[in-house]
Amino acid sequence: MTDGPVLKIENLYTYFYTRSRQAFIRSVDGVHLEIEKGQTLGIVGESGSGKSVTALSVMGLVTAEPGVISGKVGLKTANVQKNLLQDLSEYVKTATITGRIMDVYKDNRRWQKNVDRVMRGIRGREISMIFQNPKLSMNPFTSVGRQIQESILLNTAVRSAAEARDRALYWLEKVRIDSPRLRYDNNPYGLSGGMCQRAMIAMALSSEPSLLIADEPTTGLDATIQSKIVELLQEIKTTVGVTTMLISHDIDVIRALSDQVAVMYGGTILEHGPADAILSGAMAQSHPYTAALMASIPNREQIRTKAYLQAIKGEVLDTINLPEGCRFYPRCEQVTDRIQEHCRLREPGLLSISNGHRIRCWRYQQ
Amino acid sequence: MKLSAVRPITVLVTRELGIAALLLLGVSFVVFVILYLSPGNPFATLVTRIETAADPGAAAAAPATWYGQYFTWLKNLFKGNLGNSIRTGLPVLQEVVRVGINTLYLTIGSLLVTLLIAVPIAVFSARRGMTPTSWSMTVFTYVVSALPVFWLGYIVIYISIHRFGLFPLAFGSSAGPWNWFYFLLPVLVLGISNGTISEVVRYLREEMKRVFAEEYIVTARAKGASVWKHSFKEGFLIPITEIIAAKIPFILGGAVVVEQVFNWPGMGRMAWQAAQDRDYPLIMGITLVAAIIVRMGSLMQRVVHIIVNPRASKE
Amino acid sequence: MRRFSQYAFEISDVSHVSFWKKAGPMDRVYIGYGLLVVLLVVISYLLGATGALPYDPQEINLELIMAPPNTGGHLLGTDFMGRDMLSRLIISIQAYFLPGLLAIGIAIVFGTCFGVFAGYWGGALETATTYVSNLLNSFPRLVLILLMVAAFKPDIYYIMIIVGVTNIPVVASLIHSKIQFLKQKNFIEAATALGLNNCTIIFKHILWHNCRSVLIIQATLGMAEAILMETSLSYLGFGVQEPTPSWGNMVQAGSNYFMQGKFWPSTAPALAILFAIMGFHLLGDGLNSMLERKGDR
Repeated sequence: MTDGPVLKIENLYTYFYTRSRQAFIRSVDGVHLEIEKGQTLGIVGESGSGKSVTALSVMGLVTAEPGVISGKVGLKTANVQKNLLQDLSEYVKTATITGRIMDVYKDNRRWQKNVDRVMRGIRGREISMIFQNPKLSMNPFTSVGRQIQESILLNTAVRSAAEARDRALYWLEKVRIDSPRLRYDNNPYGLSGGMCQRAMIAMALSSEPSLLIADEPTTGLDATIQSKIVELLQEIKTTVGVTTMLISHDIDVIRALSDQVAVMYGGTILEHGPADAILSGAMAQSHPYTAALMASIPNREQIRTKAYLQAIKGEVLDTINLPEGCRFYPRCEQVTDRIQEHCRLREPGLLSISNGHRIRCWRYQQ
Repeated sequence: MKLSAVRPITVLVTRELGIAALLLLGVSFVVFVILYLSPGNPFATLVTRIETAADPGAAAAAPATWYGQYFTWLKNLFKGNLGNSIRTGLPVLQEVVRVGINTLYLTIGSLLVTLLIAVPIAVFSARRGMTPTSWSMTVFTYVVSALPVFWLGYIVIYISIHRFGLFPLAFGSSAGPWNWFYFLLPVLVLGISNGTISEVVRYLREEMKRVFAEEYIVTARAKGASVWKHSFKEGFLIPITEIIAAKIPFILGGAVVVEQVFNWPGMGRMAWQAAQDRDYPLIMGITLVAAIIVRMGSLMQRVVHIIVNPRASKE
Repeated sequence: MRRFSQYAFEISDVSHVSFWKKAGPMDRVYIGYGLLVVLLVVISYLLGATGALPYDPQEINLELIMAPPNTGGHLLGTDFMGRDMLSRLIISIQAYFLPGLLAIGIAIVFGTCFGVFAGYWGGALETATTYVSNLLNSFPRLVLILLMVAAFKPDIYYIMIIVGVTNIPVVASLIHSKIQFLKQKNFIEAATALGLNNCTIIFKHILWHNCRSVLIIQATLGMAEAILMETSLSYLGFGVQEPTPSWGNMVQAGSNYFMQGKFWPSTAPALAILFAIMGFHLLGDGLNSMLERKGDR
């Protein structure tokens, strides 16, 4: 807490240019985030709200050719302190014909080179990542153990292969994989999804990173395995205590693991603050979107009485044609006459309503 | 792990060997059918000739039924007795093996040339995307692949005669310091214009791009590991072996023309001569040997696939 | 980055996008060139069929032999017997056009049948089809044709039948893998669950909706294959025989003069081969990346 946040994202914009529609998909549109050391930040939102792209932008893994990133991602750890997006805007040019963007010219090679230069020693070593689909995210041609071993050799002080193997076994044990010595030589193909995700977590932790990004770690798994993985992550949170950025659309997962929560919608953050304040479900103190999200989760009472599930009305935001005013306005049910004009025409700012709790809504402004 | 992994591999390789043997049996049957159906039934004569050659005292009569003829021929085939060439009177097997070495050298050499040209272009354009450089190289591969191989052969011969005073038409006759050049020219010509370069580039490029976009490559990047190392097996090794296996027939076919142009004493030229003379025992032997070479290529590809890909054992 | 947000309201939504718009700039060049070649081939075929040629392709003029292009009214010069090169190049299309279509037809029809057998019904049929495909793949095409030539007689239709037959595995495996892909997506179960019969599913939903682009591409590449094979064989002396012209035997006939430095008689047909084959290849590959492209972001 003394020396500022580990990760500080300011004004992050990640746009993808689609040639066929000749328009920008504005996946991430001005995101500010901070993660304090040792804390877990949960990012929650519907699919397509830009959660994963935020994570990929931080890692410099936005590979789609016409992807354009700008902003500032400050990483501050014991070893490193730098802006992960430095000099990137130098390599992008846009061409407009009669005021419309017709094409984006991006010097892909130099962009990529620059990204790789900036990220060297950071990917894996300072920030490591857990992905959504464990079976596809591990190399099917190499054994699980060797992949962990490789990560250890690359990113830690361990230099001898035998020692790295022991470390890998230690981590496999740590993530509660049964008979790690046997599993070490298994290919991802021979493991179940849950096992794979455990191995993935072991691989991410094995490099002892300063920041762990977990991108939908439970989404691709069965419900029972999901809860096991959440338990594991909880356990790791207490024993290893790594700073985590947790991305999920599952509010229960976020609730179980996070200290801070950010709610994303349409590429921007609608609400950001302490987990208990946001996820308490108190209508009066939260963004209409968060409230609607919370209301859509059935509670025990509703399940018992077989009540209808509540859904958020309307469609997920089309990030090509954004509304002029508040992004959530077309689906918002809490618009009052007093603020309607504002909601429709002007985008609200992210305003602090109490200590560390900020909301982007006209209801809390003026 | 080692033991448990090795056993399925041997089982699979044995299975592939069995399949290859079965396919070669099929090949022999196809060859038989073609000759059996051809006008004048040269096959009956052939079987008679083989039998007579094997045992001069035996009655020179072919088995009457078609399967009788086929099995007699097959039996001799296993003994290595393919009959004698009609034109030269020499045993077919000896003839084919003698020139087969030259063709093998030509085939493997030009395959190497093709890969040496195609692989860098494919890797470059997979890595860099469609820049002007990779685009012009891709167009170049299309032009080169459409070049008629015989015409390119003429150009090369013309240049070597008029520039270097060499006569590659007189194959192997001179023992000058440029002798190695004669051996290189046909290999280069066939390697460049066997018509597969554009396909090889395209296939390898698309495979590499596909693998680069795989999720496990993103993971590898996220942990700071080399993309090349992780994409090598699926993105490079497997496609390359597939290409080699798939293109051997084309290159063998191209060898027929190139051997003709360069007077190269190989199987292709012999096949051409045999077709001219309707020397069917000889061309039958050549077809069988060519099929064996093709199957060896596929066998190599399957074995690499089985060894590299842990999923192969579960398929 | 203010720059980006200011475009937000100027961008219109184009929900329907034609294939042509989706094609990359290179694909357009490829396809454009390929279509030009196809058009030229068809026009040449029609010209040859109606006999509307600048000169009689068989007319010998010994006073003007091996003339370079654009001499004495001969746009592309003359060959070693003073015959008009352009007319001979055009009439040569006759040798390729119908036989080539025959080869394509055989490959497409039988390849589709085999592919559907293997992919749709599977089981023993799949094993058998794979076996036959591998068997046909074991023969180098040209060697097999030479065997046929030795056993029967050198005839362009026999040759094209073999070209077609040896192309069957290619088409079959493409259709097969396409059907397997559809099966993976539970597409076929869904269609069956809707109560559609096999016939409708195969012809309408599999072949028409999902395989037609593959078949068009294969037909294009097959034409290139047929031309290449025909020229090789004519060059070897087993294809079209003199005095009927074909590009292959024109190169062969001109080759005697090539070493004397008289390049044109064999270069003109060689260039014709080059441009034609390149056209079909580019058309096939361009169509491939245009039609089979997965949606871009």
